[in-house]
Amino acid sequence: MIKVEDLTVRLGTKSVLSDISVEIESGKWTCLVGPNGAGKTTFLKALLGSQPYSGSITDGGLEVFKNHDRNVAFVPQHPQIPIGMSVSEYVMLGRSKRDGWGNESSASRKLVAEILKLTGLFGMQGQYVSQLSGGEMQRALIARALVQEPTLILLDEPTSALDLHHQIAVLNNIELLKDRGVTIISTMHDITLAAMYAEKIIVMQEGRVLLSGSSDSVIHSPELKSAFENRINVYTLESGRPVIVAKKER
Amino acid sequence: MKTASNESGLSPIWNWKITALSFALLFFVGILAVSFGPVSLDFLKIIKTLFGLPGGLNGQERTLLIDLRLPRALLAALVGAALATSGAVYQTVFRNPLADPYLLGAAAGAGLGATIAITSAGADLYSLLPIFSFFGAILAVLTSFFISGKFFAEPNSLLLSGIAVGSFATAVQTYLQQRNSSSLRPVYSWILGELTVANWQVVAWSSIYIFIALTILITVSKQLDGLMLTDEEAYSLGINPNKLRVIAVVAATLATATAVSASGLIGFVGIVVPHLVRGITHRVTNRGLLTIALVGASFLVLADLGARTLLSPAELPIGVITAFVGAPFFLVVLRKKRLVSQ
Repeated sequence: MIKVEDLTVRLGTKSVLSDISVEIESGKWTCLVGPNGAGKTTFLKALLGSQPYSGSITDGGLEVFKNHDRNVAFVPQHPQIPIGMSVSEYVMLGRSKRDGWGNESSASRKLVAEILKLTGLFGMQGQYVSQLSGGEMQRALIARALVQEPTLILLDEPTSALDLHHQIAVLNNIELLKDRGVTIISTMHDITLAAMYAEKIIVMQEGRVLLSGSSDSVIHSPELKSAFENRINVYTLESGRPVIVAKKER
Repeated sequence: MKTASNESGLSPIWNWKITALSFALLFFVGILAVSFGPVSLDFLKIIKTLFGLPGGLNGQERTLLIDLRLPRALLAALVGAALATSGAVYQTVFRNPLADPYLLGAAAGAGLGATIAITSAGADLYSLLPIFSFFGAILAVLTSFFISGKFFAEPNSLLLSGIAVGSFATAVQTYLQQRNSSSLRPVYSWILGELTVANWQVVAWSSIYIFIALTILITVSKQLDGLMLTDEEAYSLGINPNKLRVIAVVAATLATATAVSASGLIGFVGIVVPHLVRGITHRVTNRGLLTIALVGASFLVLADLGARTLLSPAELPIGVITAFVGAPFFLVVLRKKRLVSQ
């Protein structure tokens, strides 16, 4: 269980996150939703330790980012794509912390090959990452996170650059992590997809947590609509699956 | 023999045979360089002399080797290694394939320092020229650091302030030269780069700084790959990108300032050699940093051999050779290997 208590992040005089207190269950998929500027990405950065904060983010009494035994993988929304680096080199970076930088165990190489096959990138390992399509790049990012063998994975909008088919493929790849006991925290614009995959949803607005709970309860809560200023409609399909769509405005 | 790479179908990130090969290249090029000149020396005798074996060179030939050619080749190797390595490191830190070691104002600062040394005391202070240019370079880069302030948030702001500081230093240098036109020639020839001043004393002090700087850079080289990613990705791979950037830039600047004060401004090595090694090996990883250093050393030793012998007995500025030979060679590799991929 990751306990977030009084998490506050200020940039200059502006509060990006204010007094956030939530609990995130281990081994489950938690999704952060909310409009642009709600502070979702900053939340992820605080969890990662790249964003200084006040308050605490602990797991078993230890601050998450200071716990170096803990492997936290991060899949950014806008990766920096290294020029001239091959797919296998790129994915192999995920092993650096485990092997020690510069060492490359044969077990690692085997694992990388295995994950490349799993993510459908095997055969492209010699290609430059800069030449990959959006969907392939996203899969390379996921592959790198998978070979990290993380205990916690943070994903910032993992599906935003993808078409429908690839969205599902990528999300299925992420779901595989759950079987390995990995805690998943992602941000996602598409609340329908969030409800399909995540067990828990945290709705954020202007740096605060508006509501959190099981995906089902959050989706059907009236407060969800107010987080998006009443600009969304929630429908239920015959299968019982909720669909959230933006209202058409004139 | 079945290797791990065959089993997994992946080739290793860096093949250490390449590094061994570049060691051999440097050794070969070094022997070649000390052997050729107005008086040619025998390969075998050179090796025997170097390793203190019987049957080596004697008399004048020995003096020629030990006091003239050897320190000069060593200085060329040191400077080449320093420039190539710092170039590669700057390119990684600033995520800019065109970054070169002189970018942060080191060149202009060193130029100003040298001009002050030459104009203020003429020939008397000529021996102090390296010290003046060394501090000029360090001071210029420190000023760039100080002005930019935002290095951590935006590494490119350091590049911009480096350009501004460089222009300022060049302006002051030009003013001093105008006031003192007799300094024009010595300053100009120093700027074109020269290794004619090489002696054991210069080799001794420059090797200390360059050795320290390169040891630091090669130690952190493996982590440097993490700086090719966003800072968040680096954190998740267990790296503190801010700390690493400062270590890398400080060490690379020390190497550059030392190189520039020992030999003037030798262009092109810092950009060409890293891209050459990366292009030929198809590997951008900084695990190749040691190889880049060794190839940089070989490149400059060869260039100096050319500078000494092509128009013998006259000597060409080494900077002319590096650009004259380096540029076309680089263009061929650039076209063939498509270093700058989309």
